[in-house]
Amino acid sequence: MIRTLERICQAVEVIAGLLLGAVTLLVVASAVGRYLFAAPVPDAFDISRLMIGACIMWGFASVGYRGTHIKVDLFVEMVGPRIRRWVDFFAWAVLLVFVVLLTWKMLGRVESAFASNESTFDLRLPVWPVMTLIWIGTAFSIFTVAVRMFLIAAGLGTLDPEDPAEMRVD
Amino acid sequence: QETTLALSHWLPPTHPLQTTGMEMWIDAIEEASGGGIAIEIYPAQQLGAAPDHYDMARDGIVDISFINPGYQPGRFPIISAGELPFHIDNAKAGSRAFHEWYQPYAEQEMSDVTVCLVHLHDPGTLHGKEGQLLVPSDIDGKNVRPANGTTARMVNLMGGASVQVPAPEMREALSKGTADITASPWGSLFTFGAQDLVQSHLDVPLYVTVFAFLINTDSLNAMSEENRQVMMDHCTPEWSEKIASGWADAEAEGRQQIIDLGHDLYAPDDAQLQEWKDATAPLVDEWKQTVTDAGIEDADAAYDAFVQKIRDADSMVE
Amino acid sequence: MSGDALAITGFVALFIMIALRVPIGVAMGLVGVGGFAAVRGIDPALNLLATSPIRVIADFNLSLVPFFILMGVFATNSGMSRELFRVGNAWLGQFRGGLALSTIAACAGFAAICGSSVATAATMTKIAMPEMKRFGYREDTASGVVAAGGTLGILIPPSVVLVVYAYITETDVGALFIAGIIPGLLAVLMYMATILIAHRRGLPDGTPFDLREALSSLSGVWAVIVLFVAIIGVIYAGIATPTEAAAIGAFLTMVIGVVRRRMGLREITESLVEALRTSVTVYTVLIGAMLFGYFLAITRAPQKLTQWLVGMDMSAHGTLALILLFFVLAGCILDSMAMIILLVPIVFPVITQLGFDPIWFGIIIVMTAELGLITPPVGINVFVINSIAREVKLTTIFRGVLPFIVSDILRLILLVAFPAITLFLPGTMN
Ligand code: NA
Ligand code: NA
Repeated sequence: MIRTLERICQAVEVIAGLLLGAVTLLVVASAVGRYLFAAPVPDAFDISRLMIGACIMWGFASVGYRGTHIKVDLFVEMVGPRIRRWVDFFAWAVLLVFVVLLTWKMLGRVESAFASNESTFDLRLPVWPVMTLIWIGTAFSIFTVAVRMFLIAAGLGTLDPEDPAEMRVD
Repeated sequence: QETTLALSHWLPPTHPLQTTGMEMWIDAIEEASGGGIAIEIYPAQQLGAAPDHYDMARDGIVDISFINPGYQPGRFPIISAGELPFHIDNAKAGSRAFHEWYQPYAEQEMSDVTVCLVHLHDPGTLHGKEGQLLVPSDIDGKNVRPANGTTARMVNLMGGASVQVPAPEMREALSKGTADITASPWGSLFTFGAQDLVQSHLDVPLYVTVFAFLINTDSLNAMSEENRQVMMDHCTPEWSEKIASGWADAEAEGRQQIIDLGHDLYAPDDAQLQEWKDATAPLVDEWKQTVTDAGIEDADAAYDAFVQKIRDADSMVE
Repeated sequence: MSGDALAITGFVALFIMIALRVPIGVAMGLVGVGGFAAVRGIDPALNLLATSPIRVIADFNLSLVPFFILMGVFATNSGMSRELFRVGNAWLGQFRGGLALSTIAACAGFAAICGSSVATAATMTKIAMPEMKRFGYREDTASGVVAAGGTLGILIPPSVVLVVYAYITETDVGALFIAGIIPGLLAVLMYMATILIAHRRGLPDGTPFDLREALSSLSGVWAVIVLFVAIIGVIYAGIATPTEAAAIGAFLTMVIGVVRRRMGLREITESLVEALRTSVTVYTVLIGAMLFGYFLAITRAPQKLTQWLVGMDMSAHGTLALILLFFVLAGCILDSMAMIILLVPIVFPVITQLGFDPIWFGIIIVMTAELGLITPPVGINVFVINSIAREVKLTTIFRGVLPFIVSDILRLILLVAFPAITLFLPGTMN
């Protein structure tokens, strides 16, 4: 069963990554269209920023599973593995609370976009489909964070990065 | 003091609308309430992004918010009548007239808040980084920062693409090259530091943007009877004109300041002006269509009433 | 509770949660929502979650973050860092301490395609440390060089930390990138001088210069160097937006990797996932920062702090020194990204009110934050080196880093005294 859970989480990751690849191509295409053919792609601005939003929330699900959020490890490194496991569990429980609240409130935002006919600037395409995509990524995070909590509780995983250099931006 | 209200807007605190409009309005409310109402201003998107200000008033994140309904195209179709190009050319009497026209629709279109003031800014136009800006074809192939959903549609009809960022981010969009042209009233070029980034100006009163001040209805209901009355006494078409007036004057001065900088102003002749009017004419039909979809039974009558109101206030582009 | 007391309570709660390994962005977000609820009520506070996070993740001004990260990941995964080191060694290896000088040069080159200091340090540890050891460099010298060289990653553009600074202060990210170039090069020169002066004992002699090797070493990196120059040139000239430049840069780095048979479909997918995960960690902190910022704004704490600091009647530079000192201390325990996001919004109004240039301050504060990566007790770069080169003790690395900290402080003083060093290049942009 654990295998299946992990597989699902990894599938979410790959979808998120491919989404990023697609947005990269979209931005490249619109830039090329604009400079080489003086033909700006209508709504490229709105669509690419919303699509990046979707990538980020799908990626958020991935990070909830991997445990690689930016966090301070200074204090947990001073305690033993038993306490550390409790701390890890607590930390991800807090993340779960955040993700549940976010999923709940964001659903309201999507509904409002749907009900009020919010649309893009140029072509007046409705924005709720992309917002729904964003929301699905957020909702998936509940699942991935819960899986990581389960792994921590079962002693099968931690929040320690496998390679401390990976995933760092500073 | 009985009530302290939080007012959020997204303009800089030095903006003429705050210094000559909101502060005067707040002083008048505080005085009329005998100190019973205090209003604290949170400027510059401190409490939320510009396009989120409607939701912020609705959700009680703040008590009063200042919105540009055009930042969320499609959401408030009726009020966008004020954004139609070549209609309104006067932000003072025009604001009063427009508020009077919109009042009956406010409860329908913005039902989950209390609409307090509805006003306009001094007519704006298009400002480009370089090159001629005289006829609609000069927009073709360009990226334009529109002022609202309707100018975005106009740009699109003329072969341009829109790059929608709120006014405070106009400068950044131009300097980064995200936008080649921006829509703006004249003085705002200085307010948002874009005067050095644009060299060409279409010299015609092209459009106005609509703004509104909204109050969270629960906040209003939580006030004492007297205080609520004071608030409603300051939510009138007359107050819409007053709050807009100082800003309108400041914007209008901007045109001369641009001329003093030696920029290129392109004034269309009659034939060229007609090109603009023809190019923007489909927007009126689009408006009628969208408000029909939104449940207005007789869109033609609504449009005619709008034109009549503005014309009666001597604020119509003829 | 008064606004001040509430703000202080908020900070205390924040630090407790951070200490318990709660992701920094999540801690900021929850404290922000909780604090906002204390002022405005629970429903309004929860509704912040409906609008604000979507605004952040779909903000066009931030959309270059994933693209620049992606470019760095593609470069790393197609073996660029090793080739840069080879170039450095082919040209600088002839001098005394040549390998150490080459490491700094390779770090600078890698920094020009990668927005992260830690990634720069990590990758150079794997490549340069074994080489230096083989040629008899002392452990403290070798590890100090890599730790310090790594910090170039966030100063030399592109830099994710600079993007984030631009976002929260609404300054022009293109101008910030351009402003980082001269201070970055100055850092390279001063680090090289530091090696030759402070680490002179124990520097082995160089190896003879080989023109053929020097020229052939360039074959592996010229494409990416051209790419970097083109991207920065495009931003400098204002031809394309930084976002477009970043997306094109990422795309072309991938194409180069594929053409040179360093990457296939599998590596590309892995790179996309890796870049996205890194981006998400940045966005998470930003989401939290916005929510925490709304809480602070509603308590009016930043305004009061500004009034207090400005009213203290210190000279502008005295106040600046105080702020920088605070950042250095915070950098001892906090992550540089989190530090910028948490503290810049609070001190930025003070800085502008004192008349300092926002672009200049961006470079100064990023350099100060970067110092935190190598100062004890918590220096992320040092930890990373320690985790890769297990045999080198932490104290040894910190000892090796010490002269570079002195060099950093001297450079900071230089840049504060002469703002033109930073502001000259962006001033010539169109
Ligand atoms: Na860099
Ligand atoms: Na440190």
